[in-house]
Amino acid sequence: MANNNDTLLMAHLMRRAGFGASRIELDALVEQGYDETVDHIIDAKPEIPVSDYMIRRYQPDHGSLMGSTTNGSNWLYRMIWSDVAFQEKIALFWHGIFATGYSKLANGKVLHDQIKMFSKHGLGSFENLLVEISRDPAMIVWLDNCESHKGAINENYGRELLELFSMGTGNYTEQDIKEASRAFTGWTIANTEYMTLKSQRDSIWPYGRLSFHFEYDPDDHDDDEKTFLGRTGKFNGEDIVKIICEQKATANFISRHMYSFFVADEPPVPEWPYKEPNDSAAIDALSSVYFDSGFDIKEMLRFLFKSEFFKSEKVWNKRVKSPVELVAGALRLTKEFDRPSREEYFTCLRTSYMGQWLMHPPSVEGWHWGTEWLDSGTLVERVNFSSSSLGNLKSAGVKNIAENIRKSIKAPFKPEQVIDLALDQLGALIVSDNTRSNLVEYAESNFKSIDDDSKIADISNEDVGEVLKLVGAMPEFQRA
Amino acid sequence: MPTSVSNIVYKSTLGITAMQGRGFYFPYDFAFDNSKKMYVLGRGHDGDPRGCRITVMDFEEEYYGTFGSHGEQDGQFIWPSSIAINSQDKIFVSDEYLDKIIVLSTSGEFLFSWGQHGTGDGDFDGPNGLTFDGDGNLLVVDHRNGRIQVFDEEGGFIRKFGSVGNNEGQMDLPWGISTDSNGHIYVADWGNHRVQEFLADETFVKNFGYYGNEDGQLIHPSSVTVDSNGFVYIADWGNHRLQVYDSEANFICSTRGEATLSKWAQEFLDTNVEEKEARLKSELVFKLDGFEDDPHEESAHVEKFLWSPTAVKVHNEYVLIAESNRHRLQVFHQLS
Repeated sequence: MANNNDTLLMAHLMRRAGFGASRIELDALVEQGYDETVDHIIDAKPEIPVSDYMIRRYQPDHGSLMGSTTNGSNWLYRMIWSDVAFQEKIALFWHGIFATGYSKLANGKVLHDQIKMFSKHGLGSFENLLVEISRDPAMIVWLDNCESHKGAINENYGRELLELFSMGTGNYTEQDIKEASRAFTGWTIANTEYMTLKSQRDSIWPYGRLSFHFEYDPDDHDDDEKTFLGRTGKFNGEDIVKIICEQKATANFISRHMYSFFVADEPPVPEWPYKEPNDSAAIDALSSVYFDSGFDIKEMLRFLFKSEFFKSEKVWNKRVKSPVELVAGALRLTKEFDRPSREEYFTCLRTSYMGQWLMHPPSVEGWHWGTEWLDSGTLVERVNFSSSSLGNLKSAGVKNIAENIRKSIKAPFKPEQVIDLALDQLGALIVSDNTRSNLVEYAESNFKSIDDDSKIADISNEDVGEVLKLVGAMPEFQRA
Repeated sequence: MPTSVSNIVYKSTLGITAMQGRGFYFPYDFAFDNSKKMYVLGRGHDGDPRGCRITVMDFEEEYYGTFGSHGEQDGQFIWPSSIAINSQDKIFVSDEYLDKIIVLSTSGEFLFSWGQHGTGDGDFDGPNGLTFDGDGNLLVVDHRNGRIQVFDEEGGFIRKFGSVGNNEGQMDLPWGISTDSNGHIYVADWGNHRVQEFLADETFVKNFGYYGNEDGQLIHPSSVTVDSNGFVYIADWGNHRLQVYDSEANFICSTRGEATLSKWAQEFLDTNVEEKEARLKSELVFKLDGFEDDPHEESAHVEKFLWSPTAVKVHNEYVLIAESNRHRLQVFHQLS
């Protein structure tokens, strides 16, 4: 199989910067070149072939986004349909950090709006993103900033802004939290009492849910002098964000998040103060880009994807795919949803059975990634999903892959060839010797060697589908 | 044709959000029987099948119950799209997922159904809008096949017209359908952003609207109806408004909606005083940057505006329009 190193590296890039790519897609990208592909996916304006109008016509809840799961289902459509999935991957990255959940908001639309904000601002300056998340209505309610008033602050947002969103524990004082909270007084949503009451009561009456919008109340803003991280002034929220972004701790914190999400799993965030990064040099290099670029997320990621620490074979296939990454990646291969479909809703629900219910993070800390995705229950669900999806010949993408494999089979044919072809067509997958041995054992039990081209036609799509199903069950398909 | 008309005048709002029982959950269409009861077809959504039902009420919001449920058995629906009632008070419901027309009595008893997925005569690929012509035949918008099929009241195929495309007489994912007193047929040609008018013999007459958000322009119209004066009312689904034209397709007026509290909504708030008081203190109508370019987003924030109007129909001197996303019907006076 012609899995040259360029193809394998491109497959690695696409698994990390997107949700994977088929062999046909990889060939086109390799032709384009690695650096050019990095620039393209970072700078592209993604196109989604099925419009919001089309989805809303058939699935009206995708218009109002009232409920707890439709917003995730709507997002999954974008993940599987976008021609450049990087923007959705970025939104997923920020959703894991600025984790905001339905359980308190009871309003899917405002969470959907937050994800759209991540897509829009998630590749700009980190300073701007922090301002946007500070004025995001879902966040304001999630962390109670609408309950923080001049003379009676609620520290929830100020604390998490420093602890979970920017600097990490150990880099600020309790007094800094109070001062930051004072600076964000007056940052609220319109009609606070009615909107939060509807959320608390999960009220859909009388006419469904109402979207929230940001409102700045100057009368409720504490405009007195504050001292924050050693600086003093009549700070408002934007000033606090600016000071935060100038801190070395912030650069390191965001760099470590990027490394963990795109390169290799780091320990959970609460352990960061006590555990050094797996690759301190990489974190330092990313931090330098952070400052040199004026806190520009896009330039940090451009640097990351072109770096040797990202390209290194040592990190290939080392990350456990999150449930959403696993499902979106499989669906991009199977192409089973070419138009709005009620079945997509139930497929999206399966990510929750695997431990990642979009817009339902377990806490403000988000999900713990890495091997924590795997337990005996979630692993069975994951393997069942990927195996049944990749083996379903009713899906246009699977049928196409199976036919491509059959067309590539020539006499003299040895059974192990069908394994190599399947691994190749499913995105230039690399498997361990043990996995390959198991796959070959299956092939040798179910395929015969063929010396005559006229007998090649005896191999059916169904025969190949069984191989695809088996590859989907291999541990390597669970990794990115 | 009147020589002068005024803007369409709002009258009232009907209904309330309810996943089950009294109220609607994503209403897609409605129809009246001979006793003046109204049957509101709830689409529900894939995650909550309870909303998939028919709510029976009248114009004064007297509630008579619900029937129908989510499923694939006789008399059940998956993606119900349209409802029409014939002169014998038989209820016809199209289901664009099951590719069937389902016939029920006004008490909800399953009578019969027909249809299967396909492109042949009597087959469907997503049956949508329904209406009866002057002969009592049922016109069905077979939307992915880009055609109208005509059946007798027993489901027997009579004829068909239209094809997929954007030329005159062709259609792109059409949705709603209506006829006028002259037997002309009006089709909401959703994908082509227009309403097409045909003679009873299916000869193309003219278009109403074309793509855009200016007066008289349309984005993905979902439904159309014609009153006895010849005014044509179009549910401009993508612009989230109701537009009115004269019979020559000249724009007359439009409205984004004026919803107020229905009887059922008022009763809800009267028994949930805390919400009522918080609501009274709120400013529920406002302008935000970007609203002018995005009526969907505006309607998500401003409750009184139409949000995804799916069906418009004339009843007596009124025009009613169902909004799936706000789970209610707004009632306007016909132009005169």
